[in-house]
Amino acid sequence: MSYLADDRKNETYLLMGNEAIARGALEAGVSVAAGYPGTPSSEIIETLAEASNQRKLYVEWSVNEKVAMEVAAAASFAGLRSLCVMKQNGVNVGSDFLLHLAGSGTRGGLVLVHCDDPGALSSANEGESRHFARLVEIPLLEPGDFQEAKDMIKWAFALSEEIKSLVMVRSVTRLSHASGNVTFGQLPENDSKAYFRHGGTFLDPLEGPLISLPVAYKHGQQQEKLRQAVDRFEDSSFNIYSGPEFPELLIVTSSACHLYSKEAINLLGVEDRVGLLKLGTTWPLPPKLMRKQMGRSDKILVVEEVIPFLEENVKILVAELAPEIGIKTFFGKKEGTLPKVGELNPDLVLDAVSKILQIDYEPAPQAYIKRAGELAAVAAPGRDLIFCPGCPHRASFWSIHNILQMDGRDGFVCGDIGCYSLAMLPTGFGTLKTLHAMGSGTGLASGFGKLGRFGMDQPVLAVCGDSTFFHAVLPALVNAVHHKSNITLVVLDNSGTAMTGFQSHPGLPVDAAGKEAPSIDISGVCESIGATVKVCDPFKLEDTQSTLLNLLEKETGVKVLILRQICALSPEKKSKKMYDMKIDETTCLGENCGCNRLCTRIFKCPGLIWGKEEKVAKIDDVICTGCGVCASICPSGAIIKKEVA
Amino acid sequence: MHVFGSSELLEDVHQKDLCIGCGGCVNLCPYFKNHRGKTTMLFPCTLAEGRCNAYCPKVEVNLDELSLSLWNKPYDGSPLGVYKEILAARSGKKMAGGAYQAGGTVSALITFALKTKRIDVAVLTDRKELVPVPKLVTQPEDVVKCAGSKFMASPTLAALNQGVKEGYGRIGVVGTPCQVMSATQMRCNPLNTEDFHDPVELMVGLFCTWAVDTRGLIPLLSECVDSACIMGMDMPPPPSEIMIINTGESNVEIPLDRIRPLIPKACSICPDMTSEWADVSVGVVEGKSDWNTLIVRTDKGADLVNAARKAGYLVTDKMPEENLQHLCVAAAGKKKRALSAAKEKGLLNTQQEGQRAALRIREDVVEKILAEDVEEVCRT
Ligand SMILES: Cc1cc2nc3c(=O)[nH]c(=O)nc-3n(C[C@H](O)[C@H](O)[C@H](O)COP(=O)(O)OP(=O)(O)OC[C@H]3O[C@@H](n4cnc5c(N)ncnc54)[C@H](O)[C@@H]3O)c2cc1C
Ligand code: SF4
Ligand code: SF4
Ligand code: SF4
Ligand code: SF4
Repeated sequence: MSYLADDRKNETYLLMGNEAIARGALEAGVSVAAGYPGTPSSEIIETLAEASNQRKLYVEWSVNEKVAMEVAAAASFAGLRSLCVMKQNGVNVGSDFLLHLAGSGTRGGLVLVHCDDPGALSSANEGESRHFARLVEIPLLEPGDFQEAKDMIKWAFALSEEIKSLVMVRSVTRLSHASGNVTFGQLPENDSKAYFRHGGTFLDPLEGPLISLPVAYKHGQQQEKLRQAVDRFEDSSFNIYSGPEFPELLIVTSSACHLYSKEAINLLGVEDRVGLLKLGTTWPLPPKLMRKQMGRSDKILVVEEVIPFLEENVKILVAELAPEIGIKTFFGKKEGTLPKVGELNPDLVLDAVSKILQIDYEPAPQAYIKRAGELAAVAAPGRDLIFCPGCPHRASFWSIHNILQMDGRDGFVCGDIGCYSLAMLPTGFGTLKTLHAMGSGTGLASGFGKLGRFGMDQPVLAVCGDSTFFHAVLPALVNAVHHKSNITLVVLDNSGTAMTGFQSHPGLPVDAAGKEAPSIDISGVCESIGATVKVCDPFKLEDTQSTLLNLLEKETGVKVLILRQICALSPEKKSKKMYDMKIDETTCLGENCGCNRLCTRIFKCPGLIWGKEEKVAKIDDVICTGCGVCASICPSGAIIKKEVA
Repeated sequence: MHVFGSSELLEDVHQKDLCIGCGGCVNLCPYFKNHRGKTTMLFPCTLAEGRCNAYCPKVEVNLDELSLSLWNKPYDGSPLGVYKEILAARSGKKMAGGAYQAGGTVSALITFALKTKRIDVAVLTDRKELVPVPKLVTQPEDVVKCAGSKFMASPTLAALNQGVKEGYGRIGVVGTPCQVMSATQMRCNPLNTEDFHDPVELMVGLFCTWAVDTRGLIPLLSECVDSACIMGMDMPPPPSEIMIINTGESNVEIPLDRIRPLIPKACSICPDMTSEWADVSVGVVEGKSDWNTLIVRTDKGADLVNAARKAGYLVTDKMPEENLQHLCVAAAGKKKRALSAAKEKGLLNTQQEGQRAALRIREDVVEKILAEDVEEVCRT
């Protein structure tokens, strides 16, 4: 039972931003929530899935973000409030539907929460999705703190229902994953009934079919909805100004950046010189409010993360208002006062403000910075990005790497999105040579596999995880089969969406709420579309390698090798050792010719350590998961595995 | 002998396309593997000196050192190397017969050596489909299963290294000249290991003018015949310009013009046609397809041949003078061509800083070989 789903009105709790968002949806009476896991967004659906055991609520991990949007939209079409959740690039996946959904309009309140990842802390990109609001013409909100995260979601549902349009709410890592105090509101009784009305005319938004046609008419309506939204934005309490009436410098900001800005103003003690306009409704900008604030300062600094979205929108508005408010000097990402890439922080804002106001400010004494740097270099242990001890991916990539070397035709592997993306790095023996969007590994491979007629004879491989397989690999695989592309897809099936925390996916027999669900068999799917399919346990290195070599050399067309072994961190496996491992120090060859520390220099499972003094390898019993793989790589049989009784 | 590490081996041999895939560096450690005839390195090794480099027959091979170690005299460049006598030979009545390449002398000598426990295990070359694969054989009756020449460069020595790893101390090796050269370097304890024991008890060398690249030949063969039906292959001596593929029912001829482009570059600098560092060396005899040429080089070799003959495993005969003459000319010709090719490529006695030679031979011997008239030399 989660207190998040209890009726505890007016009580205050320390909540993670994502929990606050989930609570907001519950307080809004959400009936359906759908999403695809992706850091930093995953806890929202997880929290709601847990709540679904207590409340009338349907929650799913959809196969991908586009389907998640569709599932949520269906609920809205049937008159229910629904929520759709994803990380930044998930919106790209769903964007085609998004465009048409903006045109067709919605019925029950429909809110899309996307969590952006400035600085790409857990992403392969620093993309952001705010511009989709402008692109498809729907309103965009950005909460500035944890309380707002909850309250704004509630408000977004009301707005969506009022204007009959999807509303986007953007969070960022530092909001989604940080925690702050949130005071709860009332939880409504959910007695909503689902019914899809479609008997009216095409032009009837409440009773007619939901489509984006006739385009000109619907597009006009959409713009009218935006106008209505702007009206609400003008006096929204999520847009807050603080500071002097005529500030020397006006900071315009949103989201977590408003906290950085506040701190910077405070540390510099310039509360009487700098004004802070924190916007919660960032698209479309409310012109009256903006005119009032912009008219009172000549210098404007826009503080935001990733692309200068707010900055550009403010500039356009200020240009339009120029006859009334005069010409302004802008600071921000465009002219370079703030960095154009990566996350912001209070220091960066502080630096910008002190430069603009020509204040001499040293963030920290030079000597301190120098000493801290030195200490970090010597005292902090090196922490490479590596696979966990006992990770099946290490074994899989060991085999893939080795057979590609043995094959000797300069074959390569197209990578995909998951923990296994790390195989770009030494921990995966640098095996991956491309890395793009979900499913792109197989799509690229499908293309590479057709270049034989242009003389390309390098073996082409792709990898994907089990969750990614369903998300976006399937269409690419079908494409490869249909076009007789000569490729080998290795499915790294670790039975879960491991990277984001073991969410369910269609290959598993459980759903988001932990209830039984039909699982879809990857090997059966691949076979039925005409691929040659083999299944191996990646911990059996020899078997895996000979199977893969055979596929590579003998078969043409699409070959699929499923490497099935549960993730080392999965709840079923954790703390259960299959083998007790030990090293026979008398046979360990160590640095000598014949081994040269293969286990600790190349294989590098963190469970193996190099005894510098004794010059032999050792097992770190605490870290070793007892997978036994290292015993099969040791050239001298010095690593010994004993089955745990 | 200068010994370097695996990075030099990659630079000097692999990157220069001089690897013959002999298997000398395979199974010593986890880094070198041979798959379908091609030797590759899986991961970099950082050691400055290693056995991979020491054993490789294509880098820093010092023939003087080998000769001093084996024969107690400097290398003199004579066409057929050191030998006691040259005979014609074939397997005797004690051998049940088999798919021998020629007279079955090799199979007979190895079978006999295993039977009489002169060796504990033999390093032979079998094939899996068309790919030559090294094999450790301990049972005398299994020797004939490896009969017949696979005219492809084979990683045979991977089995020697495997045998040493498994603890065998009296191994018999059958190999081509490059393989024999590699194993001989190993026998000379190049890394000065303490309590070194030479694991090779018997070295049977094959004659070889050149081999064919496995990965190149297989598609060509598959193009000409159903590869599942291939029983054996033969390369009749010059002037014949064909390779014969025996499919059991018929013989398919492939013109050498199609084979020659598949000869590894490594063969062009190989100075040895008759496995000069072996106990006995075996080749074919012109015009007598069921006989072998047998060169007896060492006391141990002579003893084996005599005992095998006495026991009915081997039959020998005198070798006609004319054949000896041809053999000598062929061997001297190969040596001269190889040294001049190696010299031209800067691989002979290389002096430049930071560069290594493939072969080191005393300069006066090089000059003698390059200047000699092969017919002339073989007349005496
Ligand atoms: C690549 C190659 C080129 C040759 N070129 C010549 C030549 O130019 N002139 C000449 O007179 N003879 C040559 N020979 C030798 C000849 O073909 C016979 O191997 C030799 O005469 C022995 O015949 P046999 O009947 O005694 O052999 P068998 O009793 O049939 O035994 C053959 C033995 O050869 C070994 N073997 C087979 N293939 C290989 C291989 N690829 N690498 C290493 N060992 C192998 C097997 O282990 C087997 O024990 C060559 C052999 C090879 C492998
Ligand atoms: S791989 Fe084996 S021999 Fe080599 S260092 Fe590790 S334990 Fe020792
Ligand atoms: S058994 Fe070996 S590979 Fe597996 S976790 Fe332990 S140390 Fe790592
Ligand atoms: S130096 Fe030794 S351990 Fe290293 S690659 Fe060569 S043989 Fe292997
Ligand atoms: S020639 Fe032989 S020893 Fe040298 S690199 Fe090639 S396989 Fe290894």
